[in-house]
Amino acid sequence: MPHTAIDDKVVRVDALVKARGEARYVSDMSFPDMQYAYMIRSSIPRGTIDSIRIPELPEGYWFISAKDIPEEGKNELWMIQKDWKCFAEGDVKYVGETIGLLVGPDRNMLSYLRDKIEIRYTEAEAAITIDEGLAVKGGPIVGEDNVMCSLFVEKGRPMEEVFREADSVFEETIETGFQEHVHLETNGAIITIEDGKYTFYASAQCPFYIRKAVAGLLGLQPEDIVVKQTTTGGAFGGKEHFPDVLCGPLLVAEHKIRKPIKLIFDREEDMLYSVKRHPAKVTYRTALDKDGNILGIDGVVVYNCGPYLSGSFVVLQRGVFHANGVYDIPNTHVKGIGIATNTFPSDAFRGFGAPQTLYAIETHMEHIAKKFGYDPAEYKSRYFIKQGGETITNGHIVEKVVLPEMMKQVVDASDYFRKSKEYAPGSGKGIGISFYNHGGAFTGNGEQAIIKAHARLVKTGEKVRIEVGSTEMGQGFQTSLRKIAAAALGISIDDVSYDNPDTSVVPDSGPTAASRSTMIVGRLIERCAEEMKERWEEGDFSVEKEYEHPEGHPWDQNTFRGDAYLGYGWGCCIVEVEVDKLTREVKVTGIWSSHDIGKAIDELIVHGQVNGGIVQSLGYASMEKMENRNGHFRQSSMSDYVIPTSMEFPKQEWFLVDNPYEWGPFGAKGMGELVFNGADAAYIDAVERALGTEIHRIPMPPEDLEEVLRNA
Amino acid sequence: MGMTYIPSTLGEALLLRAETGAHPLAGGSDLMVQSKRGIALAPEFPFPVMIITGLDELKGITLLDDGSVEIGALTTPAEIASSSVVPWHVREAASGMGAIALRNSATIGGNIGNASPKGDLPQPLILLDAEVVLISVHGERRMLLDDFILGSKKTALGDDEIIKSVVIPKHDFSYLFYRKIGMRRANAISKLSLSAAAVVKDDEIIDFRAASGAAGPKVIRSREAEAILKGHMREEIPALMDTFLEAWNNAISPHAMPLYRRNTTKRMLAYFLSAIHEGKEEGIIREDS
Repeated sequence: MPHTAIDDKVVRVDALVKARGEARYVSDMSFPDMQYAYMIRSSIPRGTIDSIRIPELPEGYWFISAKDIPEEGKNELWMIQKDWKCFAEGDVKYVGETIGLLVGPDRNMLSYLRDKIEIRYTEAEAAITIDEGLAVKGGPIVGEDNVMCSLFVEKGRPMEEVFREADSVFEETIETGFQEHVHLETNGAIITIEDGKYTFYASAQCPFYIRKAVAGLLGLQPEDIVVKQTTTGGAFGGKEHFPDVLCGPLLVAEHKIRKPIKLIFDREEDMLYSVKRHPAKVTYRTALDKDGNILGIDGVVVYNCGPYLSGSFVVLQRGVFHANGVYDIPNTHVKGIGIATNTFPSDAFRGFGAPQTLYAIETHMEHIAKKFGYDPAEYKSRYFIKQGGETITNGHIVEKVVLPEMMKQVVDASDYFRKSKEYAPGSGKGIGISFYNHGGAFTGNGEQAIIKAHARLVKTGEKVRIEVGSTEMGQGFQTSLRKIAAAALGISIDDVSYDNPDTSVVPDSGPTAASRSTMIVGRLIERCAEEMKERWEEGDFSVEKEYEHPEGHPWDQNTFRGDAYLGYGWGCCIVEVEVDKLTREVKVTGIWSSHDIGKAIDELIVHGQVNGGIVQSLGYASMEKMENRNGHFRQSSMSDYVIPTSMEFPKQEWFLVDNPYEWGPFGAKGMGELVFNGADAAYIDAVERALGTEIHRIPMPPEDLEEVLRNA
Repeated sequence: MGMTYIPSTLGEALLLRAETGAHPLAGGSDLMVQSKRGIALAPEFPFPVMIITGLDELKGITLLDDGSVEIGALTTPAEIASSSVVPWHVREAASGMGAIALRNSATIGGNIGNASPKGDLPQPLILLDAEVVLISVHGERRMLLDDFILGSKKTALGDDEIIKSVVIPKHDFSYLFYRKIGMRRANAISKLSLSAAAVVKDDEIIDFRAASGAAGPKVIRSREAEAILKGHMREEIPALMDTFLEAWNNAISPHAMPLYRRNTTKRMLAYFLSAIHEGKEEGIIREDS
């Protein structure tokens, strides 16, 4: 078998089975005497439960709720905090909150029984929007003021001083909406007992998170529970913490029933009753001199969290840390607030808080540029941060920043400056540009202080097995990681195996999130491989490595000061549009992007990520509208919540720059989220120019453009 | 929960319909979705159903001697879109329906019988004064599709009747216009649609008609508004434009997104009328970008 080199083009290792429909998802699995579960949920956003009337259950049918949690257990799911309850008890705080689990052998019967359950509530006034949350509508949900989490960061001189020197102050508020993940495979899990241990089969990004989240329900330790990841058909962050919400009730049910139990959401449940991207409201007050130069930015970032924390504080931190974009603004002060409301809890979604503030800062910079008659590309490029430049958290950019070269690539390829001049505002044609970055891996020293990832290589004869807790969820990690191991060992990718993780076998490599898998776990495997190669002749053995944090990068998680990230991916995107004068439909006529991801481990996979990330971002900006009315999401199917199809956007032109990263495998940095972070702002810039107007929120489907133009 | 029947001939289907009131299910693209119950459970209908997918008597497209076209109720949008005898407006609408799979399973009879205000086919058919042929054990009757569809999800279908076919009269339009605005470019439900057509001879507007989809409880045609233009000369269009647009605007009654639907309808009609006024080359009027 020929050795696999890192630059070889390889066929994705999971491509054939998935294309042929041979991959087995959790929904395809069954066990002898398997029972089915239906989730019974709150139908009101806020109130108290007066009574739950369960129809008489035939033998073998169960209704499991908070009262079934044993004395030694606690009704809580341990995500980052333990505030999210497994089952509602007494009161409910959002539509879709788990009240019980209906379990039995026949789905038909379960469906009839489900329709006969009667839950009576005394409804209370709910707070749904950010403004309602801030106004503490209906009384506080959390604390006294609904502030679930908050932080601030400052750089440079005090704001009062900076604003005293300003010739003008420009203030605006920019808003973003909910976004649904629409992973092709809905959420699902099965629980059973294997070798005396509670064992989950779950569609999930983070098998070790599930163990930790649910063990306390029965007073157990995480090690007492086994989680086997099943082939996962997309996740995008929607299967980071959320599988805990399925697995918790399943564990309580299993404790009583002791038969395999399967819980699968149908598409409607998955859309109505699952986490979403945090809606955001970002206000910038910017002090400017007479020529439009930025003296300082005072920002307030508010994210709508729902009533439980889940990952919201970390999402908010990332939002705040990206609130000055790719720019070296001399003086900044940014406050972040996570506000509690009665919507379904918001949680992780590709970009993890960064897309909202990056969209806002890009739009804000572009608005300032236009106000002072500068081309947005030229104006923004004056502020590009450089290697060694001070970040918003008083840390420093570690790597070489090659944004000027990246900008040149896309500007030349798209003929940006000619078009920017030629397309008159309101002419129906427009071109827009955005710059963005994404801090790789966990914030600050989180990789060291919180995760301490482990990875292992096991050699048997001439074959090598990868043992990590990281998951393939469609992003291509099984291929990338096998390629890293093979190339570092000097063997063929076919001689390296990497199965879906089983927590009783593999070490904890940390969550598959935060664009950390290639950068952190990939590097661990590269280190394992380097040692294994040295010792290759020793016969059968294994090598396990623990994460080592590079020296000299201080971070204080209490004050949020220091190097928030050890490396960033960088991006630049140009979008060209034509807006239909009759219908306001926007046709994208060109997309150009350049990304610095250190080094592409597999160019085909990276190409797929670039295409997909940009299309998902364009969907976020243009058509993906998820509305919430009194706590209920209004879009419940893939025909009323639409995501882009391949017909929507033209073929993309894309570039990568070679800028190897010191601590990544073969020089690679994280990239899965980066490619989502900027096309939205470029698109809106282009649409604004085509229509000669200013836009302050996304998404912007044609009917919303009509409103914007009426109000202009 | 109702029984499910599978008749093997049209005669059998009509008897079943008369005796049990069974609702016809053809492609299932509406009924199956409306009655879905979740994963691994068959839909359950609150009424008896007969699966008529196999009835060949109701399939196919025929060009009749008088130049009109008869489309069997079980004909699919894919067949309609690729037919050379079906009028252009109807082919356009059929080719933009749902996704490829849906265009191969849905039927014209179902799209009419479902009577959704967002349905793709009723809009151009009503523009063209198409008639629907209804059949029962007692025989056939014909009526204008515009009269058959009473409102959102409401039709004049008798308890013992099924839709047999649609007959589209022959037209010879000088100018034609069709636009569907979906939520995206492919596989999308209509957000708004408009058909328009005109016959102009020696600069006189002999016929002018339009039909708005997704802008009210059913497809909207306003013969009063159309009459404002009919019989007038091409050069009078600018003078009549505002009156006509106002009359059309009064005829439509969009429930959601009213500003967008009203303004876009106005802009499309104004564009089409301007093209006629300017004496553009006869044929299909498309927006030039």
